[in-house]
Amino acid sequence: MDFDDTPEETAWRGRVRRFLEENTDDVVRGRDRHTDAAGAAPRQRWQATLYDAGYVGITWPVEYGGRGGTPMQQVIVNQELSRAGSAPLVNGIGLGMCGPTIIAHGTEEQKQRYLRPMLRGDDIWCQLFSEPAAGSDLAGLQTRAIRDGDGWLIRGQKVWTSAAQYSRLGLLIARTDPSLPKHAGLTMFLIDMEQPGVTVRPLRQMTGDAHFNEVFFDDARVPAENLIGEVDGGWRVAITTLMNERLAIGGGGADMGVSVETLTRFAAKRLGALPADEQALVREKLGRAHVLAMAQRYTGYRRLTALSQGRMPGPEASVGKLSLVTLGQLTAEIGMSLLGDDAAFGADAGGDDRWQYSMAMWPGLAIAGGTNEILRNIVGERVLGLPGEPRPDKGVPAAAPTGVRA
Amino acid sequence: MNFALDEQQVLLQRTAREWFEAHGGPAAMRAMLDGAPAPDIGDELAAVGFLGVLIDDERGGSALEVLDLAVVAEEAGRTLSTAPLVGAAGWAASLLRSGEGEAAAAVLREIASGSQRIAVVEEDGAPVIGAHDATAFLAVGDGDLVVSARDAAEITDQRQMDPTRGLARVRVSRGKPLGRVAPEEVERARHVAEVTLAAEDLGTAARCLEMAVDYAKQRVAFGRPIGSFQAIKHMCVDMFAAVEQLRSLVWYAAWCADHDPVQLPVSASAAKAYSAEAVERCASTCIQVHGGIGFTWEHDAQLYWRRAKVDRVLLGDAARHHARVAELALARV
Repeated sequence: MDFDDTPEETAWRGRVRRFLEENTDDVVRGRDRHTDAAGAAPRQRWQATLYDAGYVGITWPVEYGGRGGTPMQQVIVNQELSRAGSAPLVNGIGLGMCGPTIIAHGTEEQKQRYLRPMLRGDDIWCQLFSEPAAGSDLAGLQTRAIRDGDGWLIRGQKVWTSAAQYSRLGLLIARTDPSLPKHAGLTMFLIDMEQPGVTVRPLRQMTGDAHFNEVFFDDARVPAENLIGEVDGGWRVAITTLMNERLAIGGGGADMGVSVETLTRFAAKRLGALPADEQALVREKLGRAHVLAMAQRYTGYRRLTALSQGRMPGPEASVGKLSLVTLGQLTAEIGMSLLGDDAAFGADAGGDDRWQYSMAMWPGLAIAGGTNEILRNIVGERVLGLPGEPRPDKGVPAAAPTGVRA
Repeated sequence: MNFALDEQQVLLQRTAREWFEAHGGPAAMRAMLDGAPAPDIGDELAAVGFLGVLIDDERGGSALEVLDLAVVAEEAGRTLSTAPLVGAAGWAASLLRSGEGEAAAAVLREIASGSQRIAVVEEDGAPVIGAHDATAFLAVGDGDLVVSARDAAEITDQRQMDPTRGLARVRVSRGKPLGRVAPEEVERARHVAEVTLAAEDLGTAARCLEMAVDYAKQRVAFGRPIGSFQAIKHMCVDMFAAVEQLRSLVWYAAWCADHDPVQLPVSASAAKAYSAEAVERCASTCIQVHGGIGFTWEHDAQLYWRRAKVDRVLLGDAARHHARVAELALARV
């Protein structure tokens, strides 16, 4: 057992760190609050700089613009980006979900054409899965793909689509055969978002930002070559995307919200201002947050060990998201406690709202990428081997919306 | 980065699991609650080498590390064993290792061979783990390590919640000095005890999870196995998540004991704080998943619950260790 880098890893970390130090003026910092193409542009330039230097898509195949490196090397890049204060890469959905899906299921031509600009941030991607009546029960989706010559016409609506307002391309799942059982009649496509049949309408979240969108398809066109996998075989493709999404949110050790270290520095300044009896309570909670953060970090290290030994994390990685959400919510709540009376306002007198913002952000993370409850079902059934719920919808065509009762 | 057990440790884990399953098991606690004596496993425990994990080979031990002891302790915790791993193999052995001279070495030899059962007494009068079976007590007074024979100690007994812990209040007034021991060594030895206890509770919690999951697969209600209901399934997943997080904290703290003294205080407190809550939650959930049968005297669930309710307060409860972690974190700002 050891926590040291191997000599190769040390050399790699040194290289990444030197690059980030030499290019410190180009690092895009701060939290990801841009909501339009103009806001995304500086982060696209930063991703291009990183890509050109060889620090994006470390594990992706060389022939498609990746580096053919190891998962550990990618982890080291992530750690160094975080250390340098870099904001998350602008095309996170492309890199985390759409790309791995195309690598696993796409055609040679699709890989050649789409992966390199995705890595460089030239093409931003979104993931068009959820619908108003199909969230946790994704296979109940109603958006239709209708044969039109060689290609398809897309008709329907998607929702909660992050980054759609500035994405050039999207990964879309739609129903090609409504007469088949609900999981069987689905097909995966890639779609050009910049066409007349696609309307994107931003949706504001409870944080006040508009990261995600409603997307309407009115006979938008998908040519034959944009099919991913088999016609009516989209569910299998979607599983790849969703597994990668859970890893991206819970398993990557990515920074989300305010860190426990930042919280501790804030506590060191603010604790003295609280009444003595409250100080003891906040200290106890601060200790609890540190314990959860350590548990999260070292459980992550066990997954990294598996990765570095060439084993892929299984469905048990889903619990990483559950504990991340618990930790994030607790951290935000302690920050709020430290504000004293200012916790009743939307920001402190100087306009700093990081604790309020973080507090308002976590409910979304408890839902995104598989709700906490869906993740518990997955772990309960695939890891603990517990039987599934009876499924009256299994084998039945999804002819009518199933998400809302009239 | 290599945060996993090595081949030797995996082997040790397997040996320990088989050994503890063959020597005692939870039924021993039920018998003790009904007045039976503790199972007599001392000689065999010494023979298999679990008491001497941390003791040098020239003193009859196997000179392994705290992580190895944690691996053994997890397996002991699965069966609610009476083996004195926390008090003797962990705490006393760590204190004595830092003591000087032949007198301390002789006591180490006696621990490894099983000829003495040593329990550690702290000055604050906290319940002493393993006091019932102890043949001698080890204490630190004014920087001196002192060993006292059982008949030189004043032992106050109370009714036991978990008799396998053998708790009593102990006061020692006279004994044989074993030399000076530095305050940081006293602290380190206590952290080793905390980690060993957390490791036992990891095994206890993991066994509760197993029992609950097994039962949820078998028991049928409303025409289907109860594990298919999300209310039951989600309880089991929360137990699983707690067990896996606790495992990470126990391994890390155990590793720190031998490799990162600076991180040992915070990691040991983190492991003890998390284990206190995780083992209690798993033991309570295990009863709930079993329903009425889990509430009976005959079922093992109540025995695991007893162990959990006792262990959570030993060597400091979660609140105390959370406060300690906060204090250490704030001191580093």
